[in-house]
Amino acid sequence: MALVVAACGSADSDPASSVGDTRTVEHARGKTDVPAAPTRVVVLEPVQLDTAIALEITPVGAAVLNEATGVPKYLGDKAAGITTVGTVQEPNVQKIAALKPDLIIGTESRHSALYAQLTDVAPTVYMASQTDPWQDNVRFTATTLGGAGSADKLLTGYQQRCAEIAKKFGTAGKTAQLIRPRDGVLTLYGPTSFAGSTLECVGFTTPQRDWENSISVDISPERVLEAKADHVFVTTVDVNDRSTIPASVSANAAAFPRLHLVDQSFWITGVGTVGGQTVLDDLERILAASS
Amino acid sequence: MTTTASARAAPPTTGRAARRRTTRRWLAGAVAVLLGSLVLSVFVGANPVPPSDVWAALRGAGTETAQYVVWGQRLPRTLAGLLVGAALGVAGALMQAFTRNALAEPGLLGVNAGAAAFVAVGIAFFGVTSPAAYMWLALLGALLVAIAVYAVGGAADLRATPTRLLVTGVATGAVLAGLTTGVTLTHPDTFDRMRGWNAGSLLERDTAVVLPVLPLIAAGLVAGLLAARSLNALALGPDLAAAQGVSLVRTRLLVLGAVTLLAGGASAVAGPISFVGLVVPHLVRWGVGADQRRILVGSLLAGGVLVLLADVLGRIAVLPSEMPVGIVTAFVGAPVLIALARRRRATAL
Repeated sequence: MALVVAACGSADSDPASSVGDTRTVEHARGKTDVPAAPTRVVVLEPVQLDTAIALEITPVGAAVLNEATGVPKYLGDKAAGITTVGTVQEPNVQKIAALKPDLIIGTESRHSALYAQLTDVAPTVYMASQTDPWQDNVRFTATTLGGAGSADKLLTGYQQRCAEIAKKFGTAGKTAQLIRPRDGVLTLYGPTSFAGSTLECVGFTTPQRDWENSISVDISPERVLEAKADHVFVTTVDVNDRSTIPASVSANAAAFPRLHLVDQSFWITGVGTVGGQTVLDDLERILAASS
Repeated sequence: MTTTASARAAPPTTGRAARRRTTRRWLAGAVAVLLGSLVLSVFVGANPVPPSDVWAALRGAGTETAQYVVWGQRLPRTLAGLLVGAALGVAGALMQAFTRNALAEPGLLGVNAGAAAFVAVGIAFFGVTSPAAYMWLALLGALLVAIAVYAVGGAADLRATPTRLLVTGVATGAVLAGLTTGVTLTHPDTFDRMRGWNAGSLLERDTAVVLPVLPLIAAGLVAGLLAARSLNALALGPDLAAAQGVSLVRTRLLVLGAVTLLAGGASAVAGPISFVGLVVPHLVRWGVGADQRRILVGSLLAGGVLVLLADVLGRIAVLPSEMPVGIVTAFVGAPVLIALARRRRATAL
């Protein structure tokens, strides 16, 4: 017993170690033996789905943000056939069990109450929280699915791509701000958010403000000029519909000379390296068009 | 003037003169407070623009930020708040007088639920996104549902009591609220957008949203004031009112038409704003007594004051963001209602 506690205490770099054809994963609920090469995976969190697709391990089931929309389109054709097992907030244990998975990945902060039921179905590991830095969550998921090497491969690929774009467009010293219009107020995304960190990754700086230890801050439309930056990105469901630009931004068009509408389905919810690469593709296209 | 309705309480003449003086003072006070609220609504907000800059912007000068904050944000929403508050105050007073029930409020006729259901369906199935489009959908929903409720509830049928109409309205409202919940739960994107509308907000309610509704609310206010004298007679009961030569059908149609236009117009501009229609008439009766003409005018003023002050509070409550006015009115309205309910005389109809 004392040994286990001691082992947990060490902040080892590699939480997973191969034992035969299983791997021991250290996670939010302790240690669990999972298949070294899982074939029937169920994921309950968007970043886990994105990471599985990035590793070419197509899950048999996934919980989605929106059952009507289903699996996000940016993940491509292979992902389109994945069975949905309820929403991220409320996964359906019966649907999960029916898929006879050999590995389930969930999130402690969201699915805590389901842990006992899920472990009856298959080995289940829990990521701590979806609000942790997204690259840490990619690392956890990739390590669970394919070992530490897989995580490095994905994250290095993403960072290299960032460096290429930064060099090509000379973004250093320029600022960028992502705005999500919501219920009349404007949500500004900070450097620790998924899209915000991607903007910083390509060399942009997010304008300084008090981020209140959060990934984003809501501001009143009266304060719209606080969102000024060299490049301003506004999320929307339809990038061709200029009327989706919030009135407070379009009324101050002169203050926002470089304004770009971007698709919220991957800029906001595409958390992961596949989503990240999709955002980078979009950024490259936008920067090429505006320079 | 045999139809003077303060006859209900039949106070002695000297008391009546005193009452009239109090009422006049109360109404003058309400006008003053309303003017103060208008000034606050222009000078106070989430962006701490100095008052001198606001004043400069009002005269066409000032910084770019102040110009935008005053002309682009505060003036349009002040107009919207005034309109919505006046409409809800009068609609509430009309409902309480018409049903002779102190707990009646405009939402009981299903008008708000109809507006919400149309907005939800519009967002979920027709991809509607702009506040102006929500406004038209809400207005259409409110009017169609009101007509349906009146047809089923027997609005023009003299034998039918207001209770039958209310039950029909409440039942229809419940069905439509279920529909709205069903649509939003199965369409999380719709849920996300409805959240803002459902809270009741004056954000981004520019002239494109307010101006089309303005004539409807004005018509509703006129119809309501026209019904005031008959409502005074109605307070004695339908039989006595009829004996005094009051046309019950005309009164009923005027009141229902007014409530529909006012509550529908207010929902169309701001979404459902709770408690204003319920609280304001109580507050006003406490100040001006039982005459419906004074109650309606008082509710018009006090409704505007309540919504404007709640909106100003919402702008500075959660800086740098804002809290929707509907949430503030619920916070402020509930305690006021309880306080008033504890003074028995104050809330008596």
